Amino acid sequence: MWSSAGARRALGAPWSTSLTLSALMVGAVLLCGLVNPLVEYDPVLEVDLSRRYLPPSAEHLLGTDGQGRSVAFRVFKGVEAFFFPGLLAGLLAALVGGALGATAGYVGGGLGRGIAAALELLDTLPRMVFLVLVCTIYQPSIALIAATSSLLFVPSVATLVRRRVEALAAEDYILAHVAHGFHPLKVVGYHLLWLQCRALLIRQFIFVFAYVLFIETALSYLGDYGVQEPRPSWGNMVAQTRTSPTEWPWLFPAVAIILTIAALLTLGDALAQREEEVKR
Amino acid sequence: MSRPLGLGAMSLWALRRAARSLALLVGASFLVYATLRTAPGNMVDLVLGLNGTEEARATLRAEFGLDSGVLLGYARWAARAATGDLGRSITFSPGEGVAELALGAFAVTLGLALVSLLLSVTFAYALAVALGRPQPRQGLLLGPLSFLNAAPSFVVAVCLAHGINALIHLQLQGGGRVGPSWYPIPTYQSISDSLAPFSFAMISISLGDGLFMDLFNAVRAELRAVSGAQFMSAVRAKGARTRPHIVKNLVVPTLSLFTARLPLVLSAVVVVEYIFTLDGSGYLLFEAAKVRDVPVVVGVSLFFIAAVILMNLILDLVKAKVDPREVARVE
Repeated sequence: MWSSAGARRALGAPWSTSLTLSALMVGAVLLCGLVNPLVEYDPVLEVDLSRRYLPPSAEHLLGTDGQGRSVAFRVFKGVEAFFFPGLLAGLLAALVGGALGATAGYVGGGLGRGIAAALELLDTLPRMVFLVLVCTIYQPSIALIAATSSLLFVPSVATLVRRRVEALAAEDYILAHVAHGFHPLKVVGYHLLWLQCRALLIRQFIFVFAYVLFIETALSYLGDYGVQEPRPSWGNMVAQTRTSPTEWPWLFPAVAIILTIAALLTLGDALAQREEEVKR
Repeated sequence: MSRPLGLGAMSLWALRRAARSLALLVGASFLVYATLRTAPGNMVDLVLGLNGTEEARATLRAEFGLDSGVLLGYARWAARAATGDLGRSITFSPGEGVAELALGAFAVTLGLALVSLLLSVTFAYALAVALGRPQPRQGLLLGPLSFLNAAPSFVVAVCLAHGINALIHLQLQGGGRVGPSWYPIPTYQSISDSLAPFSFAMISISLGDGLFMDLFNAVRAELRAVSGAQFMSAVRAKGARTRPHIVKNLVVPTLSLFTARLPLVLSAVVVVEYIFTLDGSGYLLFEAAKVRDVPVVVGVSLFFIAAVILMNLILDLVKAKVDPREVARVE
C-alpha cells in the first residue's frame, strides 16, 4: 500500500531533519492519545451557533466549525477514535504474525506453505471490500474494524518473519545454541524473534497502526461504520465538506491525517534502514 | 531474445496457472462464505428481520445452503454461483438478480481501477524519466511530493473537489462566470452521466493511498536496474540505440507492478466511487451494506475477488508470452 522506504529515498539528503520532525509528530499524537481519556468532552454541550465558522484566534486555536465547536479541540479528541484500536490492532498483528511466522520458519513444512497460501488468499481480497462485508454481517464497531484490519495483516507479517527466521535457522550460532541444549522456545523467542526480528515487528506494528488510522478515517468519512457525529473523528470532520463545500474547517483534520501517516511511515522506514545497517 | 518454449510446454504451464487461479477462487470464496456462516445469531433473521415471509426465508436458506453444514452448504452455494445465480436482492432493490445488478456496476469499477492504474504508471514513468538520476537537489521537488505517499485517496478526492468547487464559487461570486450555478462535484445527487466526476475519481485514485509515490519509486528502481544491466553496456558499446532495449525489458516489470497493486486500487475505488457517487460496484456495495442486503454485498465481494484473480491470471499469461523466462519465475 505505502511505498517502502519511499519517503526516505524521495527526501534524499535532509534525512535527520525529517526524522526529527516525524518523531515530534508521532510523539504529539502519542501524547494526545494517552491524555485523551482523561479529558472530558461533551460534543453536544459544545454546540454554540452564535460562534459558527470563527477564524483562528487565541481562544479557538483553529477556529470553530459549523456548530460553533472548537476545531482544535475536536482534532485533539479525534485521536481517540483510532489511537487505542490502532495500538491493539498493531500489537495483535505483530504478536500473532510473529508467532505464526517464527513457527512456520523454524518448523517449516506444511505450516509454512499454509501461511503462504493464506497470504495469497488474503491478497486477492481487496481489504476495503472485506471490511464492508464483515461490517454488514456483524455489528459494526471500531473494535471490529481494528480486529479485522489486524487479521488482514497477520499473513504479511508472518511471511516477513518466516523468511527471516528460515534464513537464520541454519546459521551456525543458532545450531550451536540448539546443540548446547537451549530450549527451542528460548532459541526462537529470544535469539530469533527478539534479537533478529524486533525492528521488523516494530515496523509492521507502526504500519498496522497507520492502516487503522487510514481505515478509521475513511470509514468515518463515509459515515456508516466509523465514528458518528457528534463524536469527533478526523474522518467525519473532513466529511463536513459534503454539507458545507465552501467552508474550511475540514482542512485541519485532513492535514492531521496526512502528517500523522507521513510521520509514522518515515519512522518505520528509519527503523528498516537502521535494521539494514546493523545487519551489514 | 530466446526462442519461445514449445507450444506444448507453454500451454501446459498456462493450464497449471489457470488451475491455481481456480483453487484461489475456491479458497477466497470459501473465506467469504465461512465469514457469512459465522454471523452471530440466525443469518436469515439478520437479513430479513423478524417480519420476513416463510417463502422468503425458505428461498434464502436454499440460496445460501443454510440447512447443511458449512462445507456442504458452501458446495451448494458455490454450484449455484458458478451457474451465475448469486441470489436475489432483498432490501436494496427487492427481487432483482444480484448477478445482473453487480455485473453492470462492476464494469464501471474495473474500468476506473485499470484506467487509474494506467494513469498512475504513466505519470510515474514520465516523472522518473524526466528526473533521470537521483540528485540531492531533487529533494526540493520530491520532499513535498512525498507527502502524497501519506495522503489517503479520500483526502485527495476531498481536496480536489473542494478546490474545484471553491474556484467555481469564487467565479460565480465575482461575476466571472454566469451559470450554471451547480458545483461539478456532487454532494448528494448523482450526476454520473457527466464525465467530470469520473475523471476526478480517476485522478484521486491514481494519486492517493501512496499509489503514485509507490509506483514512482518502483519504476525508478526498475529503470535504474535495466539501464545499469550488463547487456546495456554491451548495447552502448556497440553504439546501438538504447531506448528500444530499455522499453522491451521494462514490459514485464511494469506488468508485475499492475498485478501487485490491483487489490489496493480496487479498495481505493470502492471509497472514491462512493464520494463521487459514481454508479459502480463500490457505491453499490456501500448502499447495499447500509440496508444490510447480504446477498448483494456477498455477490459484489465475489465479483471483486474474481476480478483480481482473473486479472492476475491474464497478466501472468501476457508476461509469459512476452518473456518466456517468466514461466520459471511464476512457478
